[in-house]
Order: sequence, then structure tokens, then C-alpha cells
Amino acid sequence: MKETENIFLDLINQHKAIIHKVSKMYTDGTEEQRDLFQEIVLQLWKAYPGFKGNSKFSTWMYRVSLNTALVYFKKDQRKVDKTPLDAHIDVMDNTESDQKEEKLAYLYKAVQELNAVEKALIFLFLENQSHKEIAENLGISELNARVRLNRTKEKLQIIIKKNGYEF
Amino acid sequence: MNFDDIKNDWNNPDVGAETISASMLKVKEAHTPIDIIRKKMKHEFFYQIFFLVIMFFLPVMISFSATTQMAYLACYAIICGFSAYYFFKFYKFYKNSYDMSMDSRKSILWFYYEMKLNIELYKALTYIVAFIAVAFGAIYILVEQNADLSKILAKLSPVYILLNCFISILIIGIITELWAWYYYGKYLKRVKKVVDELDFE
Repeated sequence: MKETENIFLDLINQHKAIIHKVSKMYTDGTEEQRDLFQEIVLQLWKAYPGFKGNSKFSTWMYRVSLNTALVYFKKDQRKVDKTPLDAHIDVMDNTESDQKEEKLAYLYKAVQELNAVEKALIFLFLENQSHKEIAENLGISELNARVRLNRTKEKLQIIIKKNGYEF
Repeated sequence: MNFDDIKNDWNNPDVGAETISASMLKVKEAHTPIDIIRKKMKHEFFYQIFFLVIMFFLPVMISFSATTQMAYLACYAIICGFSAYYFFKFYKFYKNSYDMSMDSRKSILWFYYEMKLNIELYKALTYIVAFIAVAFGAIYILVEQNADLSKILAKLSPVYILLNCFISILIIGIITELWAWYYYGKYLKRVKKVVDELDFE
């Protein structure tokens, strides 16, 4: 058991960025993010005995993480915070790293206005998944994935523009 | 907005040095809607057991006639029988594990129908127990022949009595539906919303 646990922890730590990104996509606040992160880790651990290695560990992680986020339920479901993005993000220096962080912060903020499935579509797209892979992960047709991803990208651009940011 | 630029930044995130430790695997309580419903049903299970124990001692606390006592025991046995059947079903629901590694649509549909089925089972048990209680109430009124009660009944027309029975059943139905909706429905609604979003074309 201890050995299985160690193998699992090694694998999950190699890919922990997936859990971080899903948690940030689906929650709006540090505490909630931590809760969802914990929930995903727990669900991954519960599902791990069923992982037979037929697919890559990261592929399996995408599914469990996204499915957990899609049905995750907190008692105090918060409404989307629609205050201007600038109010939450300090003025940053113009170093490349800061600009990158700022851009991602704006992206995460804008994504909060998408619905759960649209978030999944954008997440998988940003993770470099093809339309076919997105369709397989979500259980929808490839055509549907393509059309809906394009619509979601347009919607996201409108949200970002509306919030006064352009990149 | 250039999505290619965003992709580059996205794929090189700073996720911090925090390592996922073994202690994070020890948390017992999950927060999927199905886990929340299971937890609530577990609580209700204990309330129902308590209620059944109290019901068992009711004839000792209230002095029934021999005939009413027989009717009461018959109703009690039927309630116990149905409760045992539904408790078994709920136990299976409680123990049934779920597979989060299916594609999202399959996984969420499974959640939705599993939750819906068990909420319907829950409602069915509530209806059965409520109807048996109403039936026992009617038997009690007819058998005990309480002098005051008989006088009142004699004054009422059969249509009025039937109408009252119908309204009682309606009220039981409304309370059951509202309670199930208040207690469990919001979770079902949330999962249904995701199912609809996935099926949207």
C-alpha cells in the first residue's frame, strides 16, 4: 500500500500543474481553489486503483480532474465576481515574467464568466489538445467540439475586451 | 487576443514548489453532489431508525384496544418491511463507487441518473410510510368508536370525508416533493445544468 501511495504521489507531483490549472479555472478565490485542489487529489487517489495504464497518466488525470471540477459542489456557491480586473491585480513591473503572470491572471478572471463546459473546452484547448481529443474527453462529437470551442474563444475575447484588457 | 501567445504562457506556469503529500490522500470526505447526498441520506437513515424504535413502543405509551393494537402491529410490520427494502437499496447506493475516469458526458450522466433514482426511492419510501400512517389513522377512528368522534363523523357527509382524504393525500404529496427538492433537489439541478451544457449544440 505504501509503495502504491509513493508511486502515485511521484506521478501526481510530476503533473500537479494540471490540478493547479483546473482549480484556478473553476474557482474564484484562494480558499476555494485550495478546496477544489484537495478534492481533485482525493478523487484521483480514489480512482487510481482503476488506472490500468492503457492511456498516459496525464490523459487519465485530465479526465478525473475535469470531471471532479464539473460536479464539484460547495455549499456557499459564490457568484462570479464581476468587478474590474484591475482592482484585483496590482500594477506590475514590465518584466517578461510579470507580464506573463498578469496576462494569465486576466485570463483566469475572464474565464470565471464562462459556464462549466466552456471552461473545460478552453482548458483542453490551452493544454494543446486536438479537437478529436477534446471531443473524446468530454464525450461529445468532434464537430460539436470544434464549433463550440470556436464560439467559446469568441466569447472569451468579448469578455476580455469588455473588461478593458487586450492581449 | 492571441491564443497562441496565451498557450505559450499557459504551458509554462509557475505552480509553486509545494509538493502533494500523503496527508492529502487521507481526507475521507469528498464533496461531489453524490457524496453530499449520500451523507445526508446516512443522517436520515439514523433518524428513521430512531423513529421506528419510538413507533415500536407507541402501543405501550397509548392504550389501544386489542383490535387497534393488531392493526397497529400490522401497519408497523409493513412499514418495517418497506423500510428494510429501501434501506438495503440506499446501502447499495452508499457503497457503490463511481468512476471519474470516464469521458465527462458518461461520468456526469451516471451521477445524474444515480442521484435521480435514489431521490425517487427516497420519495417512494416517504409516500408509503405516510399512506400507511393515514390508513392507520382511519382504522383507529373507525375501530375505537370514541363517543365524541362518532358524533362528529355522523354529522359529516361521505363526500366531505372523501374530499378530506383526497386533500390529505395531496398535502402529503406536496410536502414530500418540496422536502425532497429542498433537501436534495439543488444538487440534482446543478448536475442537470452541466448535462444540458454538454448536450447543447
